[in-house]
Amino acid sequence: MVHEAPTAAPAEPIEPGPVARLFQSALRGLALEIGQSPIDEVVSVRREDFARVMETAKNDERLALDYLRCLSGVDWLTDLETVYHLHSFKHGHSIAIKVRCPVSDAHIPSVSHLWETANWHERETQELFGLVFDGHPDPRPLLTEEGLGYYIMRKSHPLADIEEWQEDYLKTIEEAKAQMAAATGVAAPVDEKALKIQMAQQKAAIMKKARDDARAKGLSPEDEKAAVQEAIKKFEEEHAAGQAAAPTAPAKSVDERAAKIQLAQQKAALITKTRNEARARGVSPEEERQIVAEALKKFSEEQEQAAAAPQAAPAQAAAAPATPAAPMDRAAKIQLAQQKAALITKTRNEARARGVSPEEERQIVAEALKKFSEEQK
Amino acid sequence: MAIETRPPHESDLETIDINVNVGPQHPATHGVFRMVLTIDGELVVDVDPVIGYMHRGNEKLPENCDYRQVIGYHDRTDYLAQFNTEHCYVEAVERLAGIKPPERAEYIRVVLAEMNRIASHLMFFGAFGTDIGLFGTSFMYAFRDRETIQDFFEEITGERMMYNYFRPGGVAWDLPDNFRQRCSQVLDSVERGVEQLDGLMMENEVVLARCRGLSPVTVEDGINWGLSGPMLRATGLKHDIRRAEPYSIYDRFQFDIPTGKQGDVYDRLVVRLEEMHQSAWIVRQALETMPEGPIMAEGLKRVLRVPAGEVYMRVESPRGEYGVYLVSQGSDKPWRHKVRGASFSNLSALRAMSVGNFVSDVIIILGSIDIVLCEVDR
Repeated sequence: MVHEAPTAAPAEPIEPGPVARLFQSALRGLALEIGQSPIDEVVSVRREDFARVMETAKNDERLALDYLRCLSGVDWLTDLETVYHLHSFKHGHSIAIKVRCPVSDAHIPSVSHLWETANWHERETQELFGLVFDGHPDPRPLLTEEGLGYYIMRKSHPLADIEEWQEDYLKTIEEAKAQMAAATGVAAPVDEKALKIQMAQQKAAIMKKARDDARAKGLSPEDEKAAVQEAIKKFEEEHAAGQAAAPTAPAKSVDERAAKIQLAQQKAALITKTRNEARARGVSPEEERQIVAEALKKFSEEQEQAAAAPQAAPAQAAAAPATPAAPMDRAAKIQLAQQKAALITKTRNEARARGVSPEEERQIVAEALKKFSEEQK
Repeated sequence: MAIETRPPHESDLETIDINVNVGPQHPATHGVFRMVLTIDGELVVDVDPVIGYMHRGNEKLPENCDYRQVIGYHDRTDYLAQFNTEHCYVEAVERLAGIKPPERAEYIRVVLAEMNRIASHLMFFGAFGTDIGLFGTSFMYAFRDRETIQDFFEEITGERMMYNYFRPGGVAWDLPDNFRQRCSQVLDSVERGVEQLDGLMMENEVVLARCRGLSPVTVEDGINWGLSGPMLRATGLKHDIRRAEPYSIYDRFQFDIPTGKQGDVYDRLVVRLEEMHQSAWIVRQALETMPEGPIMAEGLKRVLRVPAGEVYMRVESPRGEYGVYLVSQGSDKPWRHKVRGASFSNLSALRAMSVGNFVSDVIIILGSIDIVLCEVDR
């Protein structure tokens, strides 16, 4: 799906309305871009001023914008924008405040400390647009518990071709799995029987070749036998060497569940210990609970530090090469699928423009796809 | 050997907070919604609402639709207040495109939207009654009247739930000839039903015992949490978008804005009950003054191209402020189409409202928010 670049808005200076004038007087010296919508006045601010503007909007007596009605993200292809619709119950006025950031650096200060209701709005926008709200107290994804890993509200995310896209997506995952198996030598489902048959067939082929060679040379039956056995031995040695050279299954069998259980057990032990100590001292139940909570907090802080220390170095190392030669991560797969979806749309539209029959159209699309995957290889 | 004869005291027992999942498939969650409750005995220590089970891309899909195709998505956003949501969307398009709908269309919209408000509140009373254990008392009475209204809507639009009747510039087709008489008839019958409901619910011992003083919300908290509609009015704030920022022709009608005193669950009930009477009043006024004439603005193209610009249109839906943020680039499709669901913001305050209450009360608090999960997840 191709989106035309948004046309630039006419750069006529707009006479600021009453609320925008209040903003101008409350925030002297800041670059405010004044706009107008059919209902509300609009003020666009720079990102570096944004935190200060919002603080003023909430706390300035003349503005007193105490109600955040709506928070929307907008994708402008190169920029991401968030729009805050604010209302003041005290003065009965409303305004929209806009702030932009480039897609490559999608960070905007959170306002959930000013308006509690921004919490969910920001979580949703972060999840759907990939915009990070700095300082958000709870930045988990909101609508999908585990997060999608891609940002569906961005314009680059395909929609019209969703069927093809999904179909391709599944196929791409299968391909990626196969590639991963080939690269690491840990074929996900190793079919041992097929492997054995393959070995036997290879062996038979070698035996036949060696025997034919020997016969062609006119060797005696004993020599022929010896040559064949030598060839088989050589093949087996090569095979064994190949297996040894192939990277064995990564010894990264860190059992996360076991680690979690261990952590929980440690915590439980800590709770029991602290509580018993506290009881021995004869403190009140409230104090006891507090002591336990503090001990738990300290424990989890220690855990976090321990986890952060060794991981810091590899994390930085990994950041340098954009993506390590990993088989194909999720983002790459999605990108590939998106490319394919675009190709399908393009080819289909071209075919349709030429007025071909649906069968031919399908064939043309299939050929284009085939060519594309060959090019990829 | 000393034998302890004292029976074990509560403080001798080691207790531990446990997590309980309520939902997603649970009648008390009013749809597919999950709460992870952390409970200490019967006391709720923490609530983590989990939403998104109904996420269908209701904001993304319209960005790829013609402006008129989007109307149906709004029916499905808040499926208990379809006319109110359609009203918001078509008016957003009209404001952006500078279309002025004819008088008669405006009256039709107001009448249907207010009737819809009554139907939605009836649904609330029915569902809320089941939450507090009064199935036979409220549910059956409320649904009888809601069904009357839905039959009435079906006569007009041909649909029982997904009306798709409003259009940018007017409404899809004119009303049936006997509309005025039929509407008064429905209204009479429904108002009698509301009176009955009033008598059955508001003085009911169970309702009083369980709702009075439960989770009171102050005005400041309500504003900060982003509450709107009956939830906010129950705290005592006299705010109604129909009055504060009149849209359509609401400035022509008289109506009161009922408010509560302390923002507890009982106040929310009182506000909703009174709103039904106010809506009926508005409908009666509108029926008296409804003019004859065209129902669609003239000169509209088959493909509606909306000039570049943006608008955040909001209406007072039965659940609160329902908003549509439309950004147009001058094409026949919206560039951005954001829906502000009233339930979304109201539900985000659930944690703050429920912590410290009992498990059974949290169900009532959730019921009193009157959520529509399709609007929350979009």
